[in-house]
Amino acid sequence: MTFGEGGERLGRVLGTEDVTPTVFWFAVAPGASVGLDDLVVVRTLKPDGREVRFYGLVDNVRKRHEGVTFESDVEDVVAGVLPASVSYAARVLVTRVDPEHFIPPQPGDEVRRAHGADLDMALSADKMKEAAFPAGLLADGQPLPLNFRFVNGESGGHINISGISGVATKTSYALFLLHSIFRSGVMDRVARAGGGHTAGTAGGKAIIFNVKGEDLLFLDQPNGRVQEREAEAQAAKGLSADRYTLMGLPMSPFRDAQFLAPPRPGASNNAIVPHTDQRAQGVTPFVFTLREFCERRMLPYVFSDAGGSLNIGFVIGNIEEKLFKLAQTQASAGAGLGVTDWKVEESSNIPENIDFSDVGAVNIQTFDQLISYLEYKLLDENEGLGDKRWVLGQTQGTLRAFVRRLRGVQKHLSPLVRGDLSEAQARQYRPNLLGGTQLSVVDIHNLSGPAQMFVVGVLLREVFEHKEKYGRQNTVFVVLDELNKYAPRDEGSPIKDVLLEIAERGRSLGIILIGAQQTASEVERRIVSNAAIRVVGRLDLAEAERPEYRFLPQSFRARAGILQPGTMLVSQPDVPNPVLVNYPFPAWATRRDEVAEEVGQSVEEVGEDWLGY
Amino acid sequence: MPPMRIRLDPWPVDIEGGQLGLQRFEGDLIDIETPRWAAVAAKPVPERLHTVHVVDGKRRMESRVFIEDEAGEAGMGGFGAYVVGAVRMCPHGSRPAELTDVRARRLLAHAPGLRVDPYRLSPRDPHTGTLQYTPIVTESADPLAPLHKLQQVMLAEEQNLSHGLASQVPFSEEDDREALTSLTIQDGTLRSKNLGGAVVGCVKTMQTQYLPADRASLLSELRPGERTPILHMKYANSPYTRFIWYVRLCEAAFYQHPMSGVMRLEMYAPDDSDFLPPIVREVANVSGHLLCRLASRAHKDPRAPQNLIPTAALESAMTRAMGSADLVTRRLRAHIARELGVVA
Repeated sequence: MTFGEGGERLGRVLGTEDVTPTVFWFAVAPGASVGLDDLVVVRTLKPDGREVRFYGLVDNVRKRHEGVTFESDVEDVVAGVLPASVSYAARVLVTRVDPEHFIPPQPGDEVRRAHGADLDMALSADKMKEAAFPAGLLADGQPLPLNFRFVNGESGGHINISGISGVATKTSYALFLLHSIFRSGVMDRVARAGGGHTAGTAGGKAIIFNVKGEDLLFLDQPNGRVQEREAEAQAAKGLSADRYTLMGLPMSPFRDAQFLAPPRPGASNNAIVPHTDQRAQGVTPFVFTLREFCERRMLPYVFSDAGGSLNIGFVIGNIEEKLFKLAQTQASAGAGLGVTDWKVEESSNIPENIDFSDVGAVNIQTFDQLISYLEYKLLDENEGLGDKRWVLGQTQGTLRAFVRRLRGVQKHLSPLVRGDLSEAQARQYRPNLLGGTQLSVVDIHNLSGPAQMFVVGVLLREVFEHKEKYGRQNTVFVVLDELNKYAPRDEGSPIKDVLLEIAERGRSLGIILIGAQQTASEVERRIVSNAAIRVVGRLDLAEAERPEYRFLPQSFRARAGILQPGTMLVSQPDVPNPVLVNYPFPAWATRRDEVAEEVGQSVEEVGEDWLGY
Repeated sequence: MPPMRIRLDPWPVDIEGGQLGLQRFEGDLIDIETPRWAAVAAKPVPERLHTVHVVDGKRRMESRVFIEDEAGEAGMGGFGAYVVGAVRMCPHGSRPAELTDVRARRLLAHAPGLRVDPYRLSPRDPHTGTLQYTPIVTESADPLAPLHKLQQVMLAEEQNLSHGLASQVPFSEEDDREALTSLTIQDGTLRSKNLGGAVVGCVKTMQTQYLPADRASLLSELRPGERTPILHMKYANSPYTRFIWYVRLCEAAFYQHPMSGVMRLEMYAPDDSDFLPPIVREVANVSGHLLCRLASRAHKDPRAPQNLIPTAALESAMTRAMGSADLVTRRLRAHIARELGVVA
């Protein structure tokens, strides 16, 4: 290709500002229009006649009156008295120099818009080849390629998204990326190119934790407004087609999805129905059995927000071990926990509905009973001294603190951890994230804080342990918003440990964390820094100046304060500067009223659907 | 007896002569518009006058040289540059003002009797362009002759530009075809013979007091925009006749001499002193409005208000068009060094 083919001439490199190999200004030619984020290419000749090309993106543009000295001269210029010309200049951040001779371009060199092969060079798409998948549209309507090898753990992994709630629409962008990963065929292409070491799209799984509203419970439903919104966007931006078409993605909802929700607390007859308001059909409730609770060492996740003292940590570890042993000794099947050493009548708190199976043996069936049992073992037995093997020399104060905390979360966890299930029920309601469907949405928005932490912690650890066992053959994407809550910078917690494990070792196991938070400065540094792809939406300007955002050049940090919904700054290792993209309106419904009406669905059916029968 | 009063000349002291000189005028002055010596109010600019050009020129001697030609003749000369240019604007403010014809030309003026070829300076850096000097013979071998030649050429170009851009002025009572559609404001006094265009010269300073004492007091009384009646003027020892009138551009501050905002305007006049072309009267009528709009402010221009806003812009554009004098001199030196085979 010869230089400048198809690329519109935009101007010439300025000689009145410093020209450096990484940053330079150019004067915009009359009639040309240059805005932020335009991608440009400059060719310069070395004295020996060899050519060096500079690819870059415009990160600043300015206009001013040239040849006038006083600011009030603008009145005279507009009045037609004072001749002046408008100088229009743009600053370019160089993203790539090819070949890598870091000489400055020459003032006067032509600047052209990057198109075709030049555009691929500017965005390093030539390095990505089959691993490129669309991550949104550039300002001029061309798709931004993202390198999947930096997502799936091969060269790097994890995606981190920052932005103010509501405006940055972090979850929307995470979902769009998932859609793009699953539907662009990039997983299959990379799997093929890698000789089949990974399973491709078919093996790909995604787990999404829905933390806000019931936004994500309709991902499998088409969005009734997407056509209209995309047509609007196409007209407003002057694109040649809708944004899905431009990126080669289907405008369709997610396929092969399951929706999990916690059971509604206090349902009659202890029935297990999902705790959702807008969608009932197709939502599976999930519970953990009391047996699993002990067997799988879930106790620490009950205290995940506690930080806590060393002593309590010691008690937790000890009780966790005791419960594990106890679960090991269970002879009978079932969800409950049989204990023989509980003299209920000696308990200070005697729970209701205790199931005495044999003489002296108690079958613990609720979380409440479990706490009462622990209370008995630690504080009541042996005339208030507790069982020596359980107490292990801890002071009463510590033990009481432990029980008090358990009592504190009892209300939240009782519906989730149950011992009164039949074996069939336990199987049916056990959350199965990696077995069946491609996409699992775990709705935790109705849960209280501690219960949310518990669910996320337990499920993530299970995923992690599963992947440790079976390797990275299938890539699992975990979408989790509010990372600052689960992995705060300053405090430790079991769930933070799991997230750290995923961040640091997950990529080699095929677990990819697509994490989001309002403020990256409040998230554990190692989690953010392990993300190869970083995305920023609208930021608070004070937040944007924190060191976590140093990967953004200064001009981008300033702009992060004015980004509109649907616009993101994407930084990836292949391209030294972040790139601004906009991404399409979701093709999947994000609310009940966005669900496209099914043709042929009767009024009654719709009504039933609405009322949640 | 009135008390002594001292008031300031508004222009900076380093400008020779200041704004006010007040030497006596030796020549003829005739009332041609009206015998009634009183202020004339400005009239609005008519719609059909759609273009006003402000024309100026500038020159610079870049280097004095000693030339030895191939025949062995030797003499003095000089590298010089000059620019003439115009600002084209709409007197109604409906278009942005723009610079036109601002281009530097370069001369190698040399003493008579020498054979000189065009001189071309090629830059070392191809991005910076070449400089082309056209040879031109001076009238004498006087050391100042190259400078005078340069000035002459510049003034001639300036005149050509001024008159080419302006409406024609009919100089007989029968000829009323030409209307005032385009006017040229030329900086400084009119220096050449009449070329027929509607060109008004703006004289910023008052070195000569043309008016007799009993009439001069009107200059102090003019209000901004007002003018004096038009006079027909003929120098004692010059063939050129012209019309003159005075316009006030702004109020004089209390500490300035009372003629500080006043400017003299000139137009070419036919020799016979009884015909005032209607276009001249029209130009005089609109000059108050026009020049008040173009007048500069003291904090922006040391020669305010007489140095007009477009003139100042034109001056700086012309200076820029000639390039940096230091760079040109250095290029000349480097070029000569290369020609002589000296490694610079």
